[in-house]
Amino acid sequence: MSHAELTMQHVHGAVGEERPYGVSTKKLVMWLFIIADGATFGALLFAYGYVRVGSPDWTKPFAFSPTILNAIVMTFVLLTSSLTMLGGVRAASAGRPSAIRWLSATMLLGTGFAALHLREWFSMIHEGWSPSHNPLGGSPLFGAAFFGITGLHLLHVVSGVIAIGVVTLLYRRGRLDASYIETTGLYWHFVDLVWMFVFPLVYLLNAR
Amino acid sequence: MSSAGSSSSPGMRFYTVLWAGLLGIVIVEVLLTYGGLRPLALLIALLALALIEAGVALMYFMHLKYERRILFWSLIPALVFVLVMFDHLWPDAFRVTSMRLPVSASSTPAGGG
Repeated sequence: MSHAELTMQHVHGAVGEERPYGVSTKKLVMWLFIIADGATFGALLFAYGYVRVGSPDWTKPFAFSPTILNAIVMTFVLLTSSLTMLGGVRAASAGRPSAIRWLSATMLLGTGFAALHLREWFSMIHEGWSPSHNPLGGSPLFGAAFFGITGLHLLHVVSGVIAIGVVTLLYRRGRLDASYIETTGLYWHFVDLVWMFVFPLVYLLNAR
Repeated sequence: MSSAGSSSSPGMRFYTVLWAGLLGIVIVEVLLTYGGLRPLALLIALLALALIEAGVALMYFMHLKYERRILFWSLIPALVFVLVMFDHLWPDAFRVTSMRLPVSASSTPAGGG
């Protein structure tokens, strides 16, 4: 099959009808999921904002060291994982075997991010923080907002690491093509994008 | 339009420059936080920087810039509309607190409930 025929099949689909968005179905579905998930995080962040404004005894518990410093390292790790994911997508689409290394690096960085996050969580829980308790005596809604927003994001990170692992394994065995890597990459960049709002709004605005 | 294997997407050097730029924005955010800005000014500055970061991630990392424009116009305005609606409707939640009936001993039903 010629390159032109392949392109036509990709754009028009199997039945010859033109795809209005010019992308594969799985990619369009991933975009729709991302928009819906973006609205979910948006709802949480707006709720956090209103709860914060409505609580006169809001607590700002985060010291530069270790919490903000840890969050900066986490941000660096997650941003770098987006770069390695881009490397994986490019290598896979070019058919280079280095795609596996790029994707493995992405999983490693994602796992590192989750580990740093959990270490911070356990440290806070050890100090007496919980979704319904504030050991500093201020509004208990801080714990609810913090654990709720970062917990949902952490769930996305862990799910993403598992998804990348499964897709990489199947790609390596030849059962999935590069387009699946690209679609998984969209999800991973979205997880990174959400953190770009969580870091300043949840961490920096609560720095002492 | 971009797809896996498309030659229209930029190379790793370009992505690395963007990655460094995003890290730079993170550093600026931290510096602003400890720069003694007023809370409202800090909030606006941090939100503006986060939106720039999100725009870069959407358009370049997620390749939205290289897709058909209709994909962007179908997705992003819808999300913005939903977020604006959140912004308009969430304050209504505070109205609930003023709608509560005053609780007093005399208002308790005689049967205890």
